[in-house]
Amino acid sequence: MFIARSEYDRGINTFSPEGRLFQVEYSLEAIKLGSTAIGVATSHGVILGVEKRITSSLLETSSVEKIVEIDRHIGCAMSGLQADARSMVEHARVTSQSHEFHYNERLGVESCTQAICDLALRFGEGAEGEESIMSRPFGVALLIAGFDEQGPSLYHAEPSGTFYRYDAKAIGSGSEGAQAELQNEFHKSLSLGEAEVMVLKTLKQVMEEKLDSKNVQLASVTKEKGFRIYGDEEMAGVVGRLEGN
Amino acid sequence: MASLFHAPMPSTGPGYSFSAQPTAASAPRQHAGFYPYTDNGGSTLGISGATFTILAGDTRSTSGYNINTRHAPKLFKIGGEGPDNLNARIVLSVVGFAADGNALKERLDTVVKMYRYQHGKEISVHACAQRLSHILYGKRFFPYYVTAILGGLDEEGKGALYSYDPVGSYEREQCRAAGAASSLIMPFLDNQVNLKNQYDPMSGQGLEKVQRVPEPLPKETVEEIVRDAFTSAVERHIEVGDGLQMMVITKEGIEETFSPLKED
Repeated sequence: MFIARSEYDRGINTFSPEGRLFQVEYSLEAIKLGSTAIGVATSHGVILGVEKRITSSLLETSSVEKIVEIDRHIGCAMSGLQADARSMVEHARVTSQSHEFHYNERLGVESCTQAICDLALRFGEGAEGEESIMSRPFGVALLIAGFDEQGPSLYHAEPSGTFYRYDAKAIGSGSEGAQAELQNEFHKSLSLGEAEVMVLKTLKQVMEEKLDSKNVQLASVTKEKGFRIYGDEEMAGVVGRLEGN
Repeated sequence: MASLFHAPMPSTGPGYSFSAQPTAASAPRQHAGFYPYTDNGGSTLGISGATFTILAGDTRSTSGYNINTRHAPKLFKIGGEGPDNLNARIVLSVVGFAADGNALKERLDTVVKMYRYQHGKEISVHACAQRLSHILYGKRFFPYYVTAILGGLDEEGKGALYSYDPVGSYEREQCRAAGAASSLIMPFLDNQVNLKNQYDPMSGQGLEKVQRVPEPLPKETVEEIVRDAFTSAVERHIEVGDGLQMMVITKEGIEETFSPLKED
């Protein structure tokens, strides 16, 4: 089985006889090695939370950036190969700015997600006369949170180029356990504060290290304040509200 | 193609024709005999109200003293479905060089339709206005030789009207006249729509005089103003006449009417 499969591993956009693109499937595996990231959408806004793996006590924790801003009203959390996310985020930022420049309005969250996913399949040899920009699929998944005229929304974008909207979603190494937890805990009438605690509680369950205000990061997207990454004091506050911490 | 008309325009005075033919006094021409623009005359105007916007234009197309056709519409529905532009909510009026006007209309229409496919919603007039500005500015050094007016309803359902110069400067206004007879129509609109130089007769004399405050006009009044503006322009400008095309944009949709103007 493995030997038969490897023949089709070479060509990056060659289908296997069973109709699979192995490199794309492997890229999904790369995400499962990444640190856990969670997003929860409430009617007031969206909360993003990530686990920072602090591999050394000498590591400056603030340099681990797993939640980034795309525009004033859109942010994203990532899991997988961080470097790949940079080019996706860069593309999203340019798209968002370009939209505001051309239309004098903010880019919709779904349109932003679509723009990111349009990049995802531009790997491989490239068609005649068309420059290929990537040799392999992205190895990162994104949780894209935003607030537009339709209210708050959360999207999950994969290296395969598909995206779905979620009320709550977990990605990365702890995603299976975390997703089950979210499934149990999520309800439509969550407040923003409850969502903050829910994200941390879920992260805590799937993290190997003991959760503290240094090895997790939260961000929110609300109508009033747009996208915002929580500062040290605010993080300490939310961690303090967590039971047993 | 003999698209050039070399005879002098009826008047070289200010305001009668927005593109004067090049004269010997101008810089030496780089391509002898190539002048890619024609002024097809005609006039347009737009007025926005509390719940509606009206755009209007005459249907005459001229080349100098010649009439190309008596039925060349200058108003176009943008972003509708099918050949009849069903369900369109935005109207573009263009006056100046008709070929550029048509090209501009086609481009904006395509952009608005692509917007719907890409973003899954109707474009707002506000967004469309900004986009049109960029389309015009994109040809800053070989401009679309047109004065455009864009009309529709804003997000609050109020009448929205945006006027442009040929390279994309734009502004939201209550009313605007453009084209050959703009210098005849605009002062009339200033007086009748924005009540310029109209004072409260009870307010006294000299510095005591109080300017009347403009209010949004009812649709019937605006239609009357539009008709009067054009019948007057037809009397005094030879490039304007034949027919009056009017589009009224309300929340119910766009109502288009044609009515006769003098054909002399």
